[in-house]
Amino acid sequence: MKVGVFLSEHVKSNDTLDRLRAGSFDVVLVQNGVYCAAIKENGQASPVLGKATKVYALSEDLVSRGLEPSQVDEKVSVVNYDGLVDLIFNEFGKTIWL
Amino acid sequence: MGKLTIGCFSSLVGSMTLDFAVKLAEAARKKGHDVDMWLSGNGTMLSKKGQRSFKDYSSLEKTITDLVAGGANVTACEACAEARGFHKEDLISGFGRKSMDWYLASCFSADRVLHIGGE
Amino acid sequence: MSIKKMAFIVDKMPYKSETSRLALTHAIASQTVEIHLEDGENVEPVLAFIGAGVLNCLKNQKASEVYGVTTLESHIQNALLTDIKVLICEEDVKKYGLTEDQIIMDAEELGADITSELVPFSTIMSEMESSDHILFF
Repeated sequence: MKVGVFLSEHVKSNDTLDRLRAGSFDVVLVQNGVYCAAIKENGQASPVLGKATKVYALSEDLVSRGLEPSQVDEKVSVVNYDGLVDLIFNEFGKTIWL
Repeated sequence: MGKLTIGCFSSLVGSMTLDFAVKLAEAARKKGHDVDMWLSGNGTMLSKKGQRSFKDYSSLEKTITDLVAGGANVTACEACAEARGFHKEDLISGFGRKSMDWYLASCFSADRVLHIGGE
Repeated sequence: MSIKKMAFIVDKMPYKSETSRLALTHAIASQTVEIHLEDGENVEPVLAFIGAGVLNCLKNQKASEVYGVTTLESHIQNALLTDIKVLICEEDVKKYGLTEDQIIMDAEELGADITSELVPFSTIMSEMESSDHILFF
């Protein structure tokens, strides 16, 4: 099972994220991390989206910030809290909160 | 069904991280999972009774009390609470106060752990 | 006999916030976890410092004089004294221009039998992979 890496900040990179073994983790964007899903700085999608094969963003944190799920990058799957619980139990063996 | 242990070290006022932790705990309980929550550092203040609700701050006392009444186990770090002048008599009824080894024991028996560090 | 391995990973600097301190105190709490567990059950902690977290491991901390608090140095030595495996990322030590003699490598004066280990990140990654749970402070 993969590691679920929770990213709660809007960052372009993260040392730990950069060093995890490719393919071993998925990224879950929560809190200010959801800006990585929808904001294109200077027209460019967030480099964070290229770090993992699967990237999820929490819908409640998107809409609370004025971002619609329809605005997120095509690579990102939008999940709610229910979906997040299922990811934690069914897809992730372990989690890391960055 | 499994057991989820959530450790949260963030403050109640001035941050939305505890709000996230509580909503996740709520969703897990609704799906029938067992939930333990460990509140340490500034996170301990979530378990203090008498929180006054202001529209500018996340107010979680009712939600977390309902969660505990519904079977979730919410326990605060005793030393972290005492250091903040938050004594046993200030604890919301039904909540726990333990030493840090309780959290490790909870992780021991958990299927999944989400540890949310400090800020 | 059931042992669960737990990785305590520290990537934050000391003192401005209590995050790394709580990593140390929680890891050391593994020494008394048995009181909550059944016979034969236990927690095996591994404590690793990565990124800016390696700055917790500098010697000669004077925080007890300045702030009146237990130093992170003292907590790391206590971890060694209680036989907790302490790993420090060697790439990050090098990145911050530090050398091994500036880093807390032992607690010999307290009577600790084990020492810290400067290891590549890949070793810490392996420890995370073989752990049951990861607690990222």
